[in-house]
Amino acid sequence: MRADIENYFLNPPLGSAAARATEFGIDLTLTLEHLRLTPEERIRKLDSFIEGVAKLRASVRFIGPTNATAQQHH
Amino acid sequence: MPPLSNIIEAPLRLLGEYKVSCVIVGGVAATIHGSLLLTNDLDVCYARDPENLTRLAEALQSVHARLRNAPEGLPFILDAETLRRGLNFTFTTDIGDIDLLGEVRGVGNYDDVFAGSVAVEMFGYRFAVIDIGKLILSKRAAGRSKDLLALPELEAIQEAQGIDKQTES
Repeated sequence: MRADIENYFLNPPLGSAAARATEFGIDLTLTLEHLRLTPEERIRKLDSFIEGVAKLRASVRFIGPTNATAQQHH
Repeated sequence: MPPLSNIIEAPLRLLGEYKVSCVIVGGVAATIHGSLLLTNDLDVCYARDPENLTRLAEALQSVHARLRNAPEGLPFILDAETLRRGLNFTFTTDIGDIDLLGEVRGVGNYDDVFAGSVAVEMFGYRFAVIDIGKLILSKRAAGRSKDLLALPELEAIQEAQGIDKQTES
């Protein structure tokens, strides 16, 4: 990645789209990390994330309010 | 339900294998451009010439595509003629969800979307990806909250691509 592009994301110039994105709450250091990947790697990362979220959802079991379950343990 | 892994890669490989003329749009296009936007289906704008519709129908048949969220028992024949009679389709398949768009709001039809698109090599195939400026236009035109939320990051990436091009020329 070229230094001026990296610098654009890490130190957004005043009034730039990057500055507005940062102001909006986007963490551009993560975007920069993503831009270092090839398009194929970006798709694989997206797939891996989707898979991770799906596995997490499948494994979650809601038990109830934590204070209620804490009382059950005593 | 499709397998949990490769639900974007596998549909891309399918379209590549069947040589479907299409442009990747939507969230997957945003990912390819570098956005961290999350999506779990593949949206493509497809060419509507008869040969392409035949290739597309064959590709979709091979993975048992069916209309997503359609009432059970709704008669639907997946062939080139059905694709010709419709425009936009949302499919669930054995390998992941695929949305077909005959037109992209804010941009236009396949020719409009293809113009200025970026060629990208992935998984051994060459794909066209919508230009980031047109992707931003389409997100703005769609106007849903999730589309508008994607804009600040996409605009920053677009500006960075502009820096890259300026230095190249």
